[in-house]
Amino acid sequence: MSRTTRIWLHLALILFAVLTLVPFAFVINNSMRNNTEIYHSFFGLPEAFRGYSTAWFSRLRGDDAPVPVKLDDGEVRQAAPAEAMSIYKERAATGYRSAWRMIRPYMVNSLVVSLATAFGVLLLGSISAFVLSRYRFPGSKIVFFFVISTMMFPGVLTLVPSFLLVKQLGLLNTYWAMILPYVAGGQVFVIFILKSFFDGLPEDLFEAARIDGAGHFGQYRFIVLPLSKPIFSVVLVMNILGTWNNFLWPFVVTTDSSYHVVASGLYVLATSGNAQNIGTLFAAYVLSSVPLLVLFIYATRPFIQGLTSGAFKA
Amino acid sequence: MTTERTGWFGYRARLTLSCYALLAATLVLLAVFVYVPVVWAFSNSLYQFEVGGEAQFIGLRNYQEFLFEDAVTWPSFLNMALLTLIAVAARLTVPLIVARFICSLPHERGRYFYRLLFLIPIVVPGVAVQLIWGGLVYAERGLVNETLAAIGLADWARGWLSDPRTALVAVAFVGFPFVFGFEVLIYYAGLSNIPTSVNEAALLEGCTGIRKFFLIDVPMVMSQLKLILILTIIGGIQGFEGLIILTQGGPGFKTTVPGLWMYYNAFSFQRFGYACAIGVCLFVIIFGLTVLNLRYFRSTEELEGAR
Amino acid sequence: MTVARIIGVLKAAALPVILLFGLWALWPASGDDVVTLGPRDYGPEVKYVLKVAPGPMYMPGVEPFGIGKPLRGLADVIRAFEARFPDTRVECITVPVMRREFLITQLSSGQAPDIINVNVEDVWMDIQKGWYVPLDHWLEQPNPFVVEKGDPTAPGAVQWWDMFEYQAISRGKAAPDNLNYCVSFDMIETGIYYNKDVFRKVGVDVPEDWEGFLEIMGKLRAAGYIPLLMIVGLFNDWATDLIFDQLYYEVLPGIDLVQDPTREGYLEGYLDWDEIAFLYEKGFFTPRDARYREVFRIMKDLRRYANKNLTGIDMLREFVTQQGAMLWHPCNIIYRLKADKSLGFEWGVFYLPELTKRTSKYASDTPMCVIGGSAVQFEVTNTAVGDTPASLPLGERMRRSTRLERVMALLQFLCVPENYERIVNEYEALIPNIRGVTPLPALRPFVEILQRRYTTTKWTFTFDLKFSEVQQRLLDLYLNDGATLDEFMELQNENLAYATKNAVLRKRLDLERLEGKWRELAPIRATMEDLPCDD
Repeated sequence: MSRTTRIWLHLALILFAVLTLVPFAFVINNSMRNNTEIYHSFFGLPEAFRGYSTAWFSRLRGDDAPVPVKLDDGEVRQAAPAEAMSIYKERAATGYRSAWRMIRPYMVNSLVVSLATAFGVLLLGSISAFVLSRYRFPGSKIVFFFVISTMMFPGVLTLVPSFLLVKQLGLLNTYWAMILPYVAGGQVFVIFILKSFFDGLPEDLFEAARIDGAGHFGQYRFIVLPLSKPIFSVVLVMNILGTWNNFLWPFVVTTDSSYHVVASGLYVLATSGNAQNIGTLFAAYVLSSVPLLVLFIYATRPFIQGLTSGAFKA
Repeated sequence: MTTERTGWFGYRARLTLSCYALLAATLVLLAVFVYVPVVWAFSNSLYQFEVGGEAQFIGLRNYQEFLFEDAVTWPSFLNMALLTLIAVAARLTVPLIVARFICSLPHERGRYFYRLLFLIPIVVPGVAVQLIWGGLVYAERGLVNETLAAIGLADWARGWLSDPRTALVAVAFVGFPFVFGFEVLIYYAGLSNIPTSVNEAALLEGCTGIRKFFLIDVPMVMSQLKLILILTIIGGIQGFEGLIILTQGGPGFKTTVPGLWMYYNAFSFQRFGYACAIGVCLFVIIFGLTVLNLRYFRSTEELEGAR
Repeated sequence: MTVARIIGVLKAAALPVILLFGLWALWPASGDDVVTLGPRDYGPEVKYVLKVAPGPMYMPGVEPFGIGKPLRGLADVIRAFEARFPDTRVECITVPVMRREFLITQLSSGQAPDIINVNVEDVWMDIQKGWYVPLDHWLEQPNPFVVEKGDPTAPGAVQWWDMFEYQAISRGKAAPDNLNYCVSFDMIETGIYYNKDVFRKVGVDVPEDWEGFLEIMGKLRAAGYIPLLMIVGLFNDWATDLIFDQLYYEVLPGIDLVQDPTREGYLEGYLDWDEIAFLYEKGFFTPRDARYREVFRIMKDLRRYANKNLTGIDMLREFVTQQGAMLWHPCNIIYRLKADKSLGFEWGVFYLPELTKRTSKYASDTPMCVIGGSAVQFEVTNTAVGDTPASLPLGERMRRSTRLERVMALLQFLCVPENYERIVNEYEALIPNIRGVTPLPALRPFVEILQRRYTTTKWTFTFDLKFSEVQQRLLDLYLNDGATLDEFMELQNENLAYATKNAVLRKRLDLERLEGKWRELAPIRATMEDLPCDD
C-alpha cells in the first residue's frame, strides 16, 4: 500500500473518530463546568482549566503577584497563584463531588445486580446454547424458536404484568426482583449469539470428547469453556452495559430506595433540582461509567477478540 | 457411548430428557418472566382495559380501530419504515466502510488502536446522547444552524426538530456519522476472516479498490450484515425511547412511530387494551419479517455449501 | 512485544489497587444522611414510616444552581414533626412520577409513596379507581396545629382551607367529581423576562397593548435579536388559555352555564369540562366558531416572533447569552438569573398586554388574566390507607385508617406558616400560597401578576391527558407551517370530539341538566355577534 493511501486512510479514520467521540468529549468537558459557563458559551473549555493553568504558569515563573480568580458564582477577586490553583481545582471538582454523593449509595447495588445478572445470563445462556447447538432431539427446533421469539415482543407491554408477577412472587424490594427478570430476558440474545458460535465449532472435537467418555458436562467444561472465553467476554460486557443503563425497572420494583441502582440514581439526578446543574449531571454520567471503563480496560482484548471471532452473524 | 438399550429407557429418550433437564432453568425463567406477561398482555388486546379499571371484552374492536380508524396509524408506520430504512442503511454501510479502512492498515497496532477508539462511546448512556443532539446539534443556535450561518446559508437555518419538513430526517440523523463500535468490530471480524487465498486471487485478477469491496468483501461479510440487519430492524420497530426525549412524536405526528403511540396509549391515554393490540401488530410484523428472512435469505455458509 | 508485556504486568498490578480503591470509595461514609432523609434504621417505638416524594423543588439535599448549599428546609420541618410524633418517621424520596408507567404500577399495587407530587390531571384520570384520597374532609376541618396555638382568628383555626392565600386557584383544582385531591402550598406564575439593555439599545419600551407588543417585537427582530423566546409547551398551555380568555370573556354571560356556589366566589365564570363538553355539542370550539379560530390565528402571529426551534426544554440559554430579547417563562428561574454574576445585563419582568379591537374584533378589552397556578401539588395516595384491607371501598378505608391520620397531620404540619416559610423561602423560585408567609422580594413582580382575575378555563393539563398531548403536537405542526389554519381547526375538532366524548363517558357527566340554563341564557346570547350556535 502506498504512503499516500495510508495517510488518506488515517485521515479518514481520524475524522470519523473525532466525529464519533465528540459527544464523549462534550460530556467530560462539561462535567467540569457550571451552568453559567455552559449557558454563556456552549463549546468553551472549563474556566477552571484556563484559570488553573494561568495560575500555574505564573507560579512557575516565580511570580507570586495575585491573579484574578473567577469564583463559582461568577464573582472575580484577587488571590495568590497557589490559592487560585486550589480554588480552580475545587471548581472543577464540585460537579464530581455532588454527583458522587448522589450515586455512591447505588453503586454497590448496581455492581451486585449487574454481576449477578451477567453470571446468570452466561451460565444459563451458554448451557442452553450448547445443548441447542450440539444436540438434535425431539422439539429442539421448537425450543429454539420458543427462546428466540421473545426478542420480538415489545417490552413496554410486559412492564405492568411483569411487575404484578414479581409482586405476586413476593420479590419486591429484593435484588431478585431485578436479577431474575434480567436473566430471563438477557439470556435470549446470549443464546442467539452463542448458538451460532458453537455451531461453528468443529464437530470432531466433540466427537473425540464423547469417545473419551465425556458427558454433557465434560464436553461443556473441556471444550466449550476454553474455546469461548473471548465470546463470553463479549456477551458479558454487553450484558453488563444493558443492565447498567436500565433505570425504570429498578424504580418500579423497589419502593425502598436502598435498592436503587446507578441508573435510577442518575434519573433522580436528571429530574431533581440538580439537573439544573448540568455539570453535576454530566459528572454523574462520567462517574457512573467508571466501572464500565475499568471493565473495558480488562476485557478489551478478549472483547475485541470475541467480537472479531466471527461468531456474530446470522 | 453406545446406543444399546438399558431397560425400557432408550438412549435417545435419555438424551432428550437430559437435554431438557439442562434447558429447564432457561425455559422456566422464560416461561415465567417473559411468556406469562406476554400472554397476559396479548389477551388484553381483546379488551377495553385500563390498569386498575374494569376490563370489558370487545373482541377485535381494538384491532379494527388501530388498523382502519386511527388516523395516526398509517403515517406512524410510514415514519417507522423510513426511520428503520435510514437506520439500516446507516448501520450497514458506514461501519462497514470504517471496518474496511481499519482492515487495510498494515500494522496490527494501528488496527487495534482504531478498534479501541471506536469502542469508547459505548459507555456513554443513550440519554446523554439524546441530550447532546437536542441541546447541541439541533438547538436554535446549535451546531447545524451556526455552521449554515458561517457558510452564508443563514436562510436555511431552522428548528430542525420542530420543522415538520425536517423533523423526521433530523431524528434519523441522530448518531451521525453512525460509526457504531459494535458494528465496526463485527464487520472487521468478517473482513479479517476472509481467507488470504481469496484476497490473493482477487489481487491476481486485478480486482482491487471499490470493485473488490463490492465483489469480494461485501459478499464475504454477508452473514454479519444479516445479523445487524435483523437487530436493526427489530430495534427500529420496537424502539421509541429516544423519541420521547427528542420530539415526543411531534410536530403533529410527523415523528410518531407505532411503538411510541403504543406507549402513550398504554400509560398516558389509559387505553391499555388498545396499546396491547398495537403491540400484537408490531409482533406480527417482526415475526413475519423473521420468517421471510429464514425462508429467502441464505447466509454465506449455506451459499458456500450450495456452491 | 516487551511493551505489551509491561502493559500486561501493569494491568495485573493495577487490578488490586483499583479494587481496593473502589472498596474504599464505596464504603459508606458515616453521617452522610444528615439532610437527605433517606431510609434509616428505626427503633421498636416507630409504628409509621411515611414516604414522601416532594418533587425536585424541595427535595432535601438537592442543590439548586447558585444557592451554594443543599436544600434542608423540608428536612428540618420533618425532623420537628418526628419530634412531635415519636412513633412516626418520614422518608423523602425521588421517584419518576413523570413516567406514567411508574405511577400506574405503584398506585395499582398500593405501594406508591404516601404523599406524591403529580400534576393534578394525572390524578383525575385515576380517581375512580380509589388510588387517591380526597382531602375535602380535612380541608373543611380546622388545622390542629393552628388551633393549638390558641388564636381563634388565625387562618386555619376554623377551616384548613382558610390558610390558602390563593384559594380560588386551589379550589379550581377540584376534580370532575368536585372533590379536591391535591393541596398546593405554593404558586407558580409566568411573565415575560426582558433584557433592559437590549430594549434601551433598540429603543423600545414595555408594550401597552397587544399591537404594541407585536410592534416592539418587529423592531427587536430588525435589530437582529430573537424577539421572544419560548417553547411549544407554552403555546399549548398558557398562550392558548390567555388568548382564549381575551376573546371569550365578553361572551361569558351567555355561555357560563354552571354557577357552583362553593366555587363561584373564587372562580367567577369558570368553564368546567362539563360546560366545555356541552358547549362543544352546541357548536362552540368547532371550526364554525369564529372566536376559537381567531385564538389560533393570533397565536400564529405571536409565533412568528419566537425562536425557530420550539422543541427545546427551555430557552434560558438564549436569554442569558443575549440572543433573545424576551423570555416567556415562569418565576422558578429567578434564583438562577440572580446567581449568574456574568450575566452582564439588566433584566425586568412584565406581563402580557391585553388584546384590543385593533388586533381582533372579538377582543373583550379586558386585562390579561392569570394563568399560572399551583406549582407543587401534593396528593395523598392509597398507600396512606394501606393499614386497612384493600378490598374495602375507599371511604371505609379512610374512616378506619390510622396511618392516614398521620399522613394528614404531616401535611397540616407542613402548612403552618412558620414551618412552610422554611421550605418555600429557601430560595427564590415559588410564591407561597399560605397566609402569613411573605414572598421573597425578588418574586414581587409575579405576586402582582397573581392578583389578576383567574382564567376562564384551562384547556390543558386539567382534564384529558390525550387531549393535551394531541393539542401540543397539533400546535407544533400548525405553528411551524406544517398545517394551515383550516387543517388545524379540523384536526383540533377531532381531538375535541374525542376528548368530550371521553369526558362524558369516563366522568359520567350529565349534560342534560345544563339544557335549562342554556335556554335561559338565550336572550343574552341573542345580543352577541358571531356565536356558532343556532338559537
